[in-house]
Amino acid sequence: MSLSLLLEKYDVSTEEGLQKALSEVEKEESEVDEALSGVLSRACMLEDKLRTASQAYTKLSEVKADAQVAADMVDRTAELARDVSAKVRQLDLARSRVAECQRRVHDLIDLQLCSAGVEAAIKANDYETGAGHVSRFLSMDPGSVAAARARGAADPRDAMTRAANTLREHIVRRFEDAAQKNDDENVDKLFKLFPQIGRAEEGVRLLAKYLATKLGVEIRRLSVVAEGEGAVFADAMTRVLEAAAAAAARAAALAALAAPGLLPAALAALQPQVCAGVRRVSGALLRAAARPASALQAEPALAELALAHSTIQLYFAFLTRRTQADAASLPEAAKQAALDAVEKLIAECDLTRTAQDILGHYLELEKFFLEESVNKALKMATPQPGSTTSSLVDDVFFIARKVIRRSISTGSVEGACVVLNEVSAVLERDVTAVLRRRLRAAPPDPLPLPAPPAPRAPRLALDLTALDLTADLAHALNKDVEAQRLLFLAHLAEAEAGAEWAARLAEEAVRGAGGAARGPTDTHKVESCAAGLGAAAAALALAAEQGVAAVRAGLAPRLALWADALVQPAPLAEELEDDADAFPQALEQFSECARQHLPQHTVDALLLAVVTDVATRAEARILHHHYDREGGLAAERRCRRAAGRAGGGGARERAARLAQAASLLALERPQHAADVLRPPRLPPARVRDILARRTDFKIEDIKKLKL
Amino acid sequence: MEDYKFLFKVVLVGNAGVGKTCLVRRFTQGLFPPGQGATIGVDFMIKTVEVDGEKVKLQIWDTAGQERFRSITQSYYRSAHALILVYDISCQPTFDCLPDWLREIEEYANNKVLRILVGNKTDREDREIPKHIGEDFAQRHGMYFLETSAKEAENVERLFMEIAVELMEQAKCKELPKYDGSLGPINGKTTSVGDGSCCLRS
Repeated sequence: MSLSLLLEKYDVSTEEGLQKALSEVEKEESEVDEALSGVLSRACMLEDKLRTASQAYTKLSEVKADAQVAADMVDRTAELARDVSAKVRQLDLARSRVAECQRRVHDLIDLQLCSAGVEAAIKANDYETGAGHVSRFLSMDPGSVAAARARGAADPRDAMTRAANTLREHIVRRFEDAAQKNDDENVDKLFKLFPQIGRAEEGVRLLAKYLATKLGVEIRRLSVVAEGEGAVFADAMTRVLEAAAAAAARAAALAALAAPGLLPAALAALQPQVCAGVRRVSGALLRAAARPASALQAEPALAELALAHSTIQLYFAFLTRRTQADAASLPEAAKQAALDAVEKLIAECDLTRTAQDILGHYLELEKFFLEESVNKALKMATPQPGSTTSSLVDDVFFIARKVIRRSISTGSVEGACVVLNEVSAVLERDVTAVLRRRLRAAPPDPLPLPAPPAPRAPRLALDLTALDLTADLAHALNKDVEAQRLLFLAHLAEAEAGAEWAARLAEEAVRGAGGAARGPTDTHKVESCAAGLGAAAAALALAAEQGVAAVRAGLAPRLALWADALVQPAPLAEELEDDADAFPQALEQFSECARQHLPQHTVDALLLAVVTDVATRAEARILHHHYDREGGLAAERRCRRAAGRAGGGGARERAARLAQAASLLALERPQHAADVLRPPRLPPARVRDILARRTDFKIEDIKKLKL
Repeated sequence: MEDYKFLFKVVLVGNAGVGKTCLVRRFTQGLFPPGQGATIGVDFMIKTVEVDGEKVKLQIWDTAGQERFRSITQSYYRSAHALILVYDISCQPTFDCLPDWLREIEEYANNKVLRILVGNKTDREDREIPKHIGEDFAQRHGMYFLETSAKEAENVERLFMEIAVELMEQAKCKELPKYDGSLGPINGKTTSVGDGSCCLRS
């Protein structure tokens, strides 16, 4: 405690204060003494620790010196290791050089052996061993030979090359001998030596020459066409091409052993023989197929031509396929080169020209066959008295289908296209023209529509019965008329069927020719030519439409009678129901009969035309009659029933309008007119005209109507 | 279904080597292939052009000039809407054969077919047939006339475009075949008539 604090705390002016301060100071003094003695007691302990530390420091410097020594040693060791590995590397290099030297020494020894061996082998006629030596020589490291030469030794290659040449000459001579003797076994054996002596191409050339000579002999024998029945020419051609394919297959098998990619050269050597053989056969075929007298006579020739053409196409496809297989292992560029070579070979060889000639001749003959056959079918379809059926369209399409199928069998898209063009032309031009002529005018009463029942009015009843009787009589007496009627309906049905036929043929053709198509262009070509059949189908459908119009024209008189009967003011009191249903029943009979002869959609078209026609006429007829309420009711009932029977679409609409007009006739009073008018409403003027036909309606009332 | 309003078939005929294929290639692909080989049978190309904002598809049939393909080429005449008869202005024999070609056209083609006479190879220096001779011939036989160079692309575009324009006008006035996009029977329409999808009828 500082003095000032002491002075503040205690009153030193008093003794008691002084006493207290003193005791305080004393107390403090004793505390300080105690602390001092404590510190002093720790001082010796510290000194002890300091000593220990200084001892440890001396030891540390010793350790440091040791560590330095150790580091130096590690460094030295590393240096040593580096030296060792460099030495090992040098050792390796030395060893590999030794190995190379050994190989070269071996090569050089072999070289000597080879040239000596070849000579020995030639002498011993052991060409396989000789070729083995040459093969060894060819596989030698060129460095060995160069090294030998560099040491000033005589070039060992000279001796070897001389020996190899001698060997080659021997092999070639032997090959030619074997070829001359037709010794296939030796030919194959010797051929296999050529790749070994590095002469693969020469081997393939020699082999191809041998095969070509052999093939030539064989083809000359095969291309003699035997007289006889059946496809003798096409058979001969097939035999020739089969022999050619066998030779090509043999060349391919052997050439694959020699080296891939050499096949096109071999094929090129064979091709002239094939071309000449096929040309001989096709010459005979074309002479035999020239100018047949009739379609019947042309058929065998057509079959032969189609078969011959297709066989040639197959042969070309075979060549391409074999070349592809042969070149499969080659790099892309070499593969393409091989394929291009064979494509060029095919495009430029005489066989292609022969195929074109055959196709050209086939097409001319096929056109002749088509036109002759169709003309014959048309001639046979000339109506004979009493004939009631026609197979015109069936016959023509049978021919068309046969011709198209045969054209597809040639294997040529070009040929199929041309035949499709010709078929379309014949159908559109000749067949349609005949049908149109036959369908231009319908015979009287082409389809029986029963006459309306005789109404009560006596004069008209007599007339109608008389008319009907006359018609019946005519039918009974004149069978020709009936036959004509049936024939007309047959033609109409045929025209419809023909249109469907043409469409189906087009589909068939596109499907069939798809196999021969060599790309999208070919497919488009066929599709475009097949579309010509679509045009023929349209022309036939138009002819059918014309027939339907003729039927309508034939029915016109009877339709007029029905129109009149529907709106007759005279009621048939006793048989009101029957009377009202007469027209629907007549329509039923009519369509039933029509269905027996015509396809459904034609029947539908006819019904529509009949209903529309009758409804239009009947509405007009209303304005020619006068009605009382009873008569109006009868007419209204008949028309309503007729409307109920009317089919769909335009006919229903037209008949509904008639029913509306007739319902005006049945009104109790004109003011009710607005109740029966429904949309589509009759025009107001027409409504007034019809109401005016009611004898009991006053004109003033009608005029007052608000419509 | 492809998007076009009219489809016309154009057939090129004429002696071998007058440049029919080159004309077609120039028009359809814009190139002139030197060393073009002889055409085999009939080649087929398509190009769609636009006339007055309407798409017109031209189906071009390029026929082989060589005699031995005649039985193939003749069958294409009948359905053609336009026939281009080509000769080489530097080769008299190709011009001398024109009457033979006209006889073929008379025999096989529709008599309403649009016929165009084309003198090709105007780029050649060794002209043998003066232009007016060709013009006279065309006029005498009621044909359109044009001289072209497939090599220099001269008048080629014009030739085909004028054909397209002319055929379209004919189609519109005389209601010639108007294709609604279907290729006839294959795409469905079979027996429907009166929609004009049928071919040119004589």
